[in-house]
Amino acid sequence: MAAFHLEMKVNGELVAVDIDPGMRLLDVLREVLHLTGTKEGCGEGECGACSVILDGELVDSCLVMAPQAYGKEVVTIEGVAALGQLHPLQEAFIEAGAVQCGFCTPGMILAAKVLLDHNPNPDRQEIARAISGNLCRCTGYSKIIKAVEIAASRIKAEAGAASD
Amino acid sequence: MIEKNIVGQSVPKVDAFGKVTGQTRYAADLDIAGALHLKVLRSKVAHGLVKKIDTSRALKIPGVTAVFTHADIPGSNSYGIIVKDQPVLTNKVRFKGDAIALVAAEEESIAVKALDAIAVEIEELPPLFDIQAAMAAGAPAIHDNGNVLTVTKIKRGNVEAALDQAAAVVSRRYTTQRVEHGYIETEAGIAYMENDMLIIKAGTQNPHYDRRDAARVLGLPINKVRVIQTATGGGFGGKLDISVQCFLGLAALKLGRPVKIVYDRQESFVATAKRHPFIVDYTSVAAADGRLLAVKARIFGDTGAYASYGPATLTRAAVHATGPYEVPNVDLEAFCVYTNNSFSGAMRGFGTPQIAFVFESQMDLLARELKMSPLEIRRRNVLRPGSITATGQELTSSVGIAKTLEAAWARALEVMPGLGGDCR
Amino acid sequence: MGARAYKTYKKDEIKVLKLQEFCQPVELKKALDLLAVAGDQLKPLAGGTDLIPAARQGELKIKGFLDLSRLEELKGIKEEGREIHLGSLTTFSQLELSPLIKDQVPLLAEAASTVGSPQIRNQGTIGGNIANASPAADTVTALVALEAQARLVSSQGIRVVPVDELLCGMGETGIQPQEIIQEVFFAIPPPENRNGFVKLGRRKALAIARMNMAVIITLEDGVITRARVALGAVGPNPYRNQILEGVLEGRKPSPSLLEEFTSEAEQEVAAKLGPRPSAPYKREAIKGIARDLLSRLFFGNGQVVA
Repeated sequence: MAAFHLEMKVNGELVAVDIDPGMRLLDVLREVLHLTGTKEGCGEGECGACSVILDGELVDSCLVMAPQAYGKEVVTIEGVAALGQLHPLQEAFIEAGAVQCGFCTPGMILAAKVLLDHNPNPDRQEIARAISGNLCRCTGYSKIIKAVEIAASRIKAEAGAASD
Repeated sequence: MIEKNIVGQSVPKVDAFGKVTGQTRYAADLDIAGALHLKVLRSKVAHGLVKKIDTSRALKIPGVTAVFTHADIPGSNSYGIIVKDQPVLTNKVRFKGDAIALVAAEEESIAVKALDAIAVEIEELPPLFDIQAAMAAGAPAIHDNGNVLTVTKIKRGNVEAALDQAAAVVSRRYTTQRVEHGYIETEAGIAYMENDMLIIKAGTQNPHYDRRDAARVLGLPINKVRVIQTATGGGFGGKLDISVQCFLGLAALKLGRPVKIVYDRQESFVATAKRHPFIVDYTSVAAADGRLLAVKARIFGDTGAYASYGPATLTRAAVHATGPYEVPNVDLEAFCVYTNNSFSGAMRGFGTPQIAFVFESQMDLLARELKMSPLEIRRRNVLRPGSITATGQELTSSVGIAKTLEAAWARALEVMPGLGGDCR
Repeated sequence: MGARAYKTYKKDEIKVLKLQEFCQPVELKKALDLLAVAGDQLKPLAGGTDLIPAARQGELKIKGFLDLSRLEELKGIKEEGREIHLGSLTTFSQLELSPLIKDQVPLLAEAASTVGSPQIRNQGTIGGNIANASPAADTVTALVALEAQARLVSSQGIRVVPVDELLCGMGETGIQPQEIIQEVFFAIPPPENRNGFVKLGRRKALAIARMNMAVIITLEDGVITRARVALGAVGPNPYRNQILEGVLEGRKPSPSLLEEFTSEAEQEVAAKLGPRPSAPYKREAIKGIARDLLSRLFFGNGQVVA
């Protein structure tokens, strides 16, 4: 069939591309837009490596047909650091040693970002639940949870400082 | 000058920045202009002889550049980390998933279509899915030298004599299951020629070994092959074996064009190593005071279709069969056995986790038999400086198990205050 | 030996789905007209969490998708009189977080909260959970206990079918190719009711239910006057079990009733599963989940009053 004209916002920028409608959002991000920070781990929504934020919600981009993203806003790992400044979550992941092989890291950071966007004060259980759709096979969960805690406290401190 | 205060300090990992920003390029993220896509035709039967491969229909599909089979391997069609028993493309199928043909095409979807168009005629042989069937007399040989690949024996003292003094004897059979590593990154890579140098970039744990095996199967001198490890999304032992490396090298060398391959999760599960399933017959002999007098064990490891790290895994299992306990009399034999299952290789611990499940279960059963606490029986048997291991090594220092045991017990009491009671 | 077998080879996954059509109507009427013409060649696509992997595995013989995501007529959670209406595109996350659902029918919020992962809950829909007809569909067990009905629409008209009647086997429903589930609705259980849902999975996240159970009881003067019990992953689809309901009705919550219920539940599961390999495990496990859920409904907080 004819190409599908897809328009969406990716990491704050409007994108218009003609794609094969059989592509998933994951394929468009990786192969058309070359945003390879979004990973494919399983292709069926079990591992969360392909997680992106779609209109504010965490989704597995392997389970979204690309045309379904029409008119929507996508945030990938490449869009998390603002103007070259690492997001507190990214800093905390480095600091806490929450990065091992790194393949789950983009999805983990996005899952954590959605959590902190809605709940700046999560407890460990809430953090664990928020990342429960993201597998880390290096078994680094405790450090990942620690990193999210560090980031949360830092974001709060910054917000506090800004409102003073 | 290196700051000496780095020692003992926590320092940020050098690769962490790229990984938290998504900039790090893993093998599947590498793009190379004009690359052909590779796909592997894999066997759907577990055991058989490939009689005929008809690639003519596949080659007629527009966009299909080449189809390779065992006949196209320029060097020795065999690789393997310990035993060179695994073909790149096989003419004898030894497990469901064995590679039969390799397609190179302009697009991935065309390569997939070409797989469907290859006709393979296989004379099926009876498949052997368990260790006992593979070891049985008259079982069809999966490899030319039979189905028992290696036997590791460790003998010390006199187990039979120890039985005479036994207050408790526990004999049990244990089985453990096959385990997939499940690294989140599936196998992937690219390859290209740089003048007469073959460059292979892949996710791997073993670039030096990959290089040797790729050169071997391609008939190239080793200095004409470079293997570059890309950022690797987990391995846990599963990326010590050749996966995509020889396919990439073969196609790039033969076609003179850059090539790319990415396994999907299913192919990764089907085609790569697993943790060895074990069958263990284990007898523990103890005196009335709980001291271990002897251990006899027969350990059988299912290495599947190919050796991979099987011989090392079974050797480790034998060496560690008595665990962190001192046993004066041992009779240990470990068998690494071929079957028609997917091949088993290295995975965190190399056979030790399997055997640990066995010897620790045995300690608990002995304790029950002797009406002793599981902690106390371990206290009485742990290795200490001066102990002699099952393999005859005298331990002189760095024997931490006794301290570890006490520390673990103290901690357990902290977090589970009701624990212990009479069992301390 | 020596028997020659000719094997054909099929690649299991295709990289890019070959779709001839991808329709994205913004009006329900337009969607129904498209379906009326295309029949089963066009597959309605909601959350896609099961459909997309299935399509990529080549399990569906379709020409294209009819993307429902723009149809406002299929969205929203509404209270109408003593009924709750759920647009079929309502996601599990929306159910889990809806104050109305949490307040009036916590069993449905609990069921939704146990589905998959945060990602799957953000994507998967209640309509899809029904249409997919999995034996283990978590929200469907809750809907069956609620005696929910589905409103199916097509260019030919509207029909209303009880959810449990719509399910006719593993992966099978009575939904016609030209029909769409517009909404699901049910009566809010009577006042003085207690309800809950429990799921047993291999792990907490991303687990398909090994078994699940939804129970609604209405208490009048301390007596259970009405009980609804639904079980999932025990048969081909979640279903209501009237024998277990009968055990509860007319009785007062008590530890002995709880024990009677669990042993009856064990027998029901045994009868339903017969010689299946999972039967010995599930016979034991049903006792645990029944005890967990009923002690919560009978005595609160999962504490059994001795």
